[in-house]
Amino acid sequence: MLTCKEFDDFMVDYLDQDLPVWQKFMCWLHVKMCRECADFVRDYQRTIALGQMAYDDPDEPVPSSVPEELINAALAHQKTK
Amino acid sequence: MTLTPGIASDTKTRTLTDAARAPYLDKHDKELLDCLRAGEDACYEELVRRFGPQVLATAKRYLRSDADAADCFQDTFLAVFESVEKFEQRSTIGTWIRGVTVNQCLMRIRARGRRREECIEHLLPVFDENGARVHSFTSNQSSPVADSIDAALLKEIVRGEINKLPDSYRVILLLRDIDGYSTKESATILGISMNAAKTRLHRARSALKSLLESEMERLNYHADM
Repeated sequence: MLTCKEFDDFMVDYLDQDLPVWQKFMCWLHVKMCRECADFVRDYQRTIALGQMAYDDPDEPVPSSVPEELINAALAHQKTK
Repeated sequence: MTLTPGIASDTKTRTLTDAARAPYLDKHDKELLDCLRAGEDACYEELVRRFGPQVLATAKRYLRSDADAADCFQDTFLAVFESVEKFEQRSTIGTWIRGVTVNQCLMRIRARGRRREECIEHLLPVFDENGARVHSFTSNQSSPVADSIDAALLKEIVRGEINKLPDSYRVILLLRDIDGYSTKESATILGISMNAAKTRLHRARSALKSLLESEMERLNYHADM
């Protein structure tokens, strides 16, 4: 069975489902057998989800919040070309 | 650095017809692009007004400074205006502009110079000599406090903790988990190997996990008082 450290090294690929079948199985087995790592994976996934939630509207704030002077300055560059 | 999706590195590749090359552009994008290439001032204004919020939000996210974000806004549109002719239409205009924005942000972050980054070792998982996990916070991320926090406040807390990460970790987290670039794309953008990108991403996520757990612990403590 993998050690926790070995499993940790595979974490990104494991969650991306980007491992060969045998390694994927070994990781799956480790998570099934190791409470600490199972908890870690759960919280790690929750962390990723929280990060995505924090920017789930990445284009906010909406148009009105771009200061007019910024828009005008950007357009001035074009006009002087 | 190769983060300019949709821009041909070789203008000789621009021989296909627009129809064959433009599966990503909707009618509105195509009209806007044609108009930009015709050099009509009104279209440049439409471009800035339409994609300005996206550019500014992305710049603020990467640069953490309103002043830097404003400068980056200018630089991004300057780069976009200069590249309109070379835009290959292999993505939407929005995706292309987002790529240009991220590129401009990374150039600014690099230009800040190589300051010594804060160590994050204390935020990473610890293993004993047998490779067993020996320390992990008991998560409070899904505690009653976290679950009862107003969504807007929770967003603010998470953004705050992300902003505490050193730039090299924060940037790969933003690229991969927030802006949706693949690990391979993130590695290419940053000019590092896939393995280095995976290691850095894992460390960034693990450090953020610890930071969030500490913050939730702190909020729990105050909620219990």
